[in-house]
Parts: sequence; structure tokens; C-alpha cells
Amino acid sequence: MKNISDAADLMATARNALLNDLLPALPKDRRYAGLMIANVMAIAAREHRSGGDAIHGEAQRLARLLADLEPDAATTHTDSTGAELPKLRRALASAIRLGYFDDPRHQRALRVHIARTAADWVAISNPKALR
Amino acid sequence: MTRTTSNPAPELSTAFPQADEIGRWLVREMQAGDVRVTRFERLPGGAIQDNWMLDLEVDGGTWAGAHELVLRTDAPSGVSVSLTRAQEFAVLRVAHAAGVVAPQPLLLCRDLSVIGREFFLMRRLAGIAVGHRLTREAALVPDGDALAESLGANLARIHAVRQTCAELKDLVPPAADHARTTIAEYRAYLDCLDDAYPALEWGLQWCATRAPVPARATLIHRDYRTGNYLVEGGHLSAILDWEFAGWGDPREDIGWFTARCWRFAAPDKEAGGIAHVDPFLRGYQRIAQRTVTRQELEYWQVMAHLRWAIIALQQAQRHLAGGERSLELALTGRIVHELEYEVLHLIEKNAQ
Repeated sequence: MKNISDAADLMATARNALLNDLLPALPKDRRYAGLMIANVMAIAAREHRSGGDAIHGEAQRLARLLADLEPDAATTHTDSTGAELPKLRRALASAIRLGYFDDPRHQRALRVHIARTAADWVAISNPKALR
Repeated sequence: MTRTTSNPAPELSTAFPQADEIGRWLVREMQAGDVRVTRFERLPGGAIQDNWMLDLEVDGGTWAGAHELVLRTDAPSGVSVSLTRAQEFAVLRVAHAAGVVAPQPLLLCRDLSVIGREFFLMRRLAGIAVGHRLTREAALVPDGDALAESLGANLARIHAVRQTCAELKDLVPPAADHARTTIAEYRAYLDCLDDAYPALEWGLQWCATRAPVPARATLIHRDYRTGNYLVEGGHLSAILDWEFAGWGDPREDIGWFTARCWRFAAPDKEAGGIAHVDPFLRGYQRIAQRTVTRQELEYWQVMAHLRWAIIALQQAQRHLAGGERSLELALTGRIVHELEYEVLHLIEKNAQ
């Protein structure tokens, strides 16, 4: 058992204080701002909890997908820590725009990857939107 | 015209800084003996435009009497793609004359010596625009089908305005192929960003390879959706927010109106969260004598989500890099994930 609050617990506690103590005392016209702050705190807490996994998973899938796409360049896409994520995303975006995935035979792995990535980030930004 | 008639936000009710200049201008424009400003309060909302509630009592001349108006001018941080106030005034005049339920535009001031910005006055109409209320509170919209049909009919009236309209000669001419041109614009914007968005790229590629035969360009609203119209007594009382209007493919407006991202509390009601799509398209067809196929509808819904994603990224950039630190802009940026998710969902649905 932890002895002091971690970031996620601090955020959840602060959000509860905002919603339960402060919001009822706010004038009606400031309520929207209060709700926005509560929403931001919830997103930040979820990202703190599962953002690392989302980034790690995305980078791993991307490295595999790009290795399949360019087997000769596989060694350049071995990163799965997230540090190379912007570069990997850019490489995939370029391949999509160049039409590589227009051929249905190449689409399956792409569709699985982008669907999973989008779902992981919706689960952080707004889990209510997941279907 | 007001979003909510009963609760103007008190902290926003600051005095208009140049009320005296406006008063003197009104006396001249109205050729009145006297114009008394009895209310001049900022209306909430409007990141791009600055809207003020303006009540007048006019003595003498053809304007004699009391008037409840809205003064609309540029917010300090305008967005470059929006129309000038003079262009918006012209669009509103044309739309109003075409029978669209919209605030009646009354006076335009292009003289920058008055308040330093263009502004116009329009008649203020009562009603509620708030999307999450209209899609949740049945008492506000007791007959969603009738409202949707009316919204369809009014959209068709906007789309009946053609490029030959002399009053709108200042608008940017239409692209030969609206879909392909907008796809190229969205890609060019994505290329300016540090990060890449593979899901949006996949959506854009999907739309590019299925781009429809271009439709004849009409006037399009480009922000025709729940949240941008007023409902009073269950009926449509005004179509608002014309600052993005221009020439384009009318199917873009239909996709935008019906896109899931604008259904608020009622995502299963395809017509803007207030009704199913049939009454909306029925109202459209009654006036336009044409409709859209299911395939066209879903194509333009994918385009709608892509467009909103690009706008959301632009809003995030205003916050992160544009010197406009704002919680609302930051949160808007986070919507991109949902929009990507919805683009992929629509594409997968079409693949089955």
C-alpha cells in the first residue's frame, strides 16, 4: 500500500473537490468553465494512467507494420519505446498518401492498427464515445 | 438574435467601449432626431465574432420606435477563413431575401473611423441554440421531425442561391471540384504540423479515391448544424453564424448537419440529434427537388469529421503556438481522437 498520494490520486481528489465543493458554489455563468476544468483533470488522470501503454503499443505496432511495408528498412523501425513515434507516424502517413494501402491486400494490418490506436486514445480523451 | 434570452452572462456584460460613437453613427444612418441606447451587453460565445445585444429607442425618421438588435463585429482574434462582416452582411441579405429563416440584416458600417472595425446590425430573435439542451430536453423540441423538416427546407433555400447572384460577387469563386480541393487543403494543413495523423490520412485517402462527380456549386453555409440555429416554441426561429459561408458542393452542408459529431446528447438521431434523417431529407427535397443517396450522405459525413478534425487541430495550435492560451481551445484539440475514431467507423461500415 502506498504511503502518500501519487499523481493520479491527487488529480482524482482535486477533481472531486472541484465537482463537490466548488462547483455548487460557483455562479451559474461560471459553471461551464468549472465543468471544463473537471473534464481536463479527468483526461489528464486517464492519460497519466494509460497514456504510456497507448504510446508503447502504437510504437510497437507501427514498427511491425512499417517493417512489413519496407522489409529492407526494418532495422530503422525497431523502436518501440515511443521516442521515435513522430517519425513512425509520419512514415505511415506518407505510405497511406502514396497509395500503398489502396490495394485491399495491404489494408488489413493498417486498419487493425489505426482502429486500435484511435480506440486507445478515445479511451483516454472521452471513453463515453467508445462503441 | 440571442442564444439564450434570459441569462446573459453578467461578467460579460461589460459596456461596449465605443457606445457613444455607435450612437452618433446611428443618428446619422437612421436620419433620426435622437437615438437612445437602452441596453448594450455582450452576448456569450463567439470566439471569432463579437456579438452585442443592442436595444434602441429612436425618435423621428423611418426608424422611429423601439428596436431589439444584435451588433456583430470582429473579435480581436479573427480566423482568416471567415468572411468579412461586409461579406457576411451580404450573404445574410441574400439568404433572408431567399426566404431562409435568418435574422434580418439591417445596417452595415464599413467606415473604420467609427469604431475601428466593420460591424453590422441585425434584428434580434428569441430562441435557444444550445446543442446539448435541444437534443436532450423534449420540451424544447416537442416535434423533432417537424423541426428537422424545416431545417432541411431552409438548407435547400440556401442551396438555391447560385453564383450568378450579383450581391455575392465578392465571395471567393468556387473550386471546380470541391471535394478534391478541400482534401488538398486538409493535406496541406497536416503537412504544416510537427506530428502526423495516420487515421486522418487514411480518411483523406479514402475520400480522395472515392471523390464524387462534382455537383454544381451553390451557396453553402459551412457551419449548418445543431448549435447554430435558434429554436423558439419548438420551431426554427433563425439560422445563425454565417461567417464561413461560400460557394461549394451543397452535399458538404448535408454531411456536416448529419455528422455524428454534431448530434450532441442524441447520437442515434442522424439529423443533428433532433430527428432521424428522413424528415430532414424530405424537407430538403421538397424545396430542392433533389436529395442525396445513402452513399453520398456517408461520404460527406466522413468529410465532415475530417473537416472538424482539421479545425480542431487548428484550434489546438492557437492554444499551443498562437499565443491564445485557452482551456476551451486545448479541449477542442482533444476531440481529434473521437473524430478519427468516427472516420474509421464510417469507413469500416462502408467496407462491409
